[in-house]
Amino acid sequence: MMTPVYILSASAISPQNTFDGDGIYETLITSDNLKLFVKEPDYRSYINPVAIRRMSRLIKRGISCGMKALSDAGIKTPDAIITGTGLGSMTDTERFLKDMIALREEALNPTFFIQSTYNSVNGWISLQTQSTGYNQTYVNRGLSTEMSLLDAQLFLQETSEAATVLVGTFDEMTDDYFVVKNKIDYWKKESIPSNEILKHNDTPGTIGGEGAAFFVLANRATKAIAILKGIKMLQQPTSEIIAQEAIQLLQEHGVTWDEIDVVIMGNSGDSRFESLYSNALDCLSANTSLLAFKHLTGEYPTATSFAIWLSIQLFNNQRIPKNTLLQQGTATHYRNILILNHYPLNTASVLLLQEPA
Amino acid sequence: MEDLKQALKQQIIESLNLQGMKPEDIDDNAPLFGEGLGLDSIDSLELMVLLERNYGIKIEDAREGRKVLSSVQSMAEYIQEHKKA
Repeated sequence: MMTPVYILSASAISPQNTFDGDGIYETLITSDNLKLFVKEPDYRSYINPVAIRRMSRLIKRGISCGMKALSDAGIKTPDAIITGTGLGSMTDTERFLKDMIALREEALNPTFFIQSTYNSVNGWISLQTQSTGYNQTYVNRGLSTEMSLLDAQLFLQETSEAATVLVGTFDEMTDDYFVVKNKIDYWKKESIPSNEILKHNDTPGTIGGEGAAFFVLANRATKAIAILKGIKMLQQPTSEIIAQEAIQLLQEHGVTWDEIDVVIMGNSGDSRFESLYSNALDCLSANTSLLAFKHLTGEYPTATSFAIWLSIQLFNNQRIPKNTLLQQGTATHYRNILILNHYPLNTASVLLLQEPA
Repeated sequence: MEDLKQALKQQIIESLNLQGMKPEDIDDNAPLFGEGLGLDSIDSLELMVLLERNYGIKIEDAREGRKVLSSVQSMAEYIQEHKKA
């Protein structure tokens, strides 16, 4: 069983105003072309101006998001940096591969190659923070977020002294990536506005998305804004298996279904996955509010991290953003949140978060 | 030679994405690394690629490369001497 870890801060760069705007309570940003790209903030406040010139947007996004999470937690140098990404920097990878073909594998720019590696963001953050401790990047497609959180939890569990870990995720969508995934039916064939995607759940596919989210985790409760109680990772999930794992997760942490105040679901309007959560939802009481988020972010491998960020907003504000609400429950205080998410075509996860006492 | 140096400065700015900088901001003899423009080791690799792509010049010897890439003037002289017809 996973030992609970404490979340000290959270930051997210997403297609919504999550980084430096008004949050997601007021404005809903939509798209009509099946793609939700992030709202890029001004990165110059977070990155060395000499270094920023050669960075692609994903690298800038990851570093800025990570530096903001550290700043919000009042941490200058974390003891470890652990990230997860499904794709890494697609822009740099595509540039490098296209140059390889065009230039017949000669005179290739080193920058694109260096930044196409998955751990570039970690490297830059460790340079900026002078963090020479444990540094790891997980590339496990739809479970990259969960793997990085699990590793952070193990790191914190094994450290007897007070320690902090910067955990983050980042993924980007490019036009070429969208075209490739379209060929294997990731996206809707018909044009649907992003804010209506959940209603169009009778056809396969969803909308593409991207984002980054970073958290500072600690093994001490001081100044915690949330507690990550446990994670379950699933391969080839079915509705029955997701429900079983959720039941087990709650039992392990002594939480009953009645005590779940909010469920945040990763349903995305894709008919192939609409029933994935039905068995788990059958266990819920009238207490629980149901929320969705993929109409705000689109689908991407590390979308679970957005759901975690959203959970922390609920703990902090004790208010549900109206644009996320599917069904209002009777609970008026949000203490226990269950996240049910999946990534096409074969992974899912269940996470339990709790408001600190 | 002057045209070559002007073109080279423009190519350096574009290739290294030196935002807000114009060719006239780069002195012909100012060191490109350390002081001067403050470029780093990755930039030196980018400049090697620039010479190969734009002028067909490949520098194999690192010591020679260090000398060639010391300033715009030294780069231009080397290009003039070695540029393939």
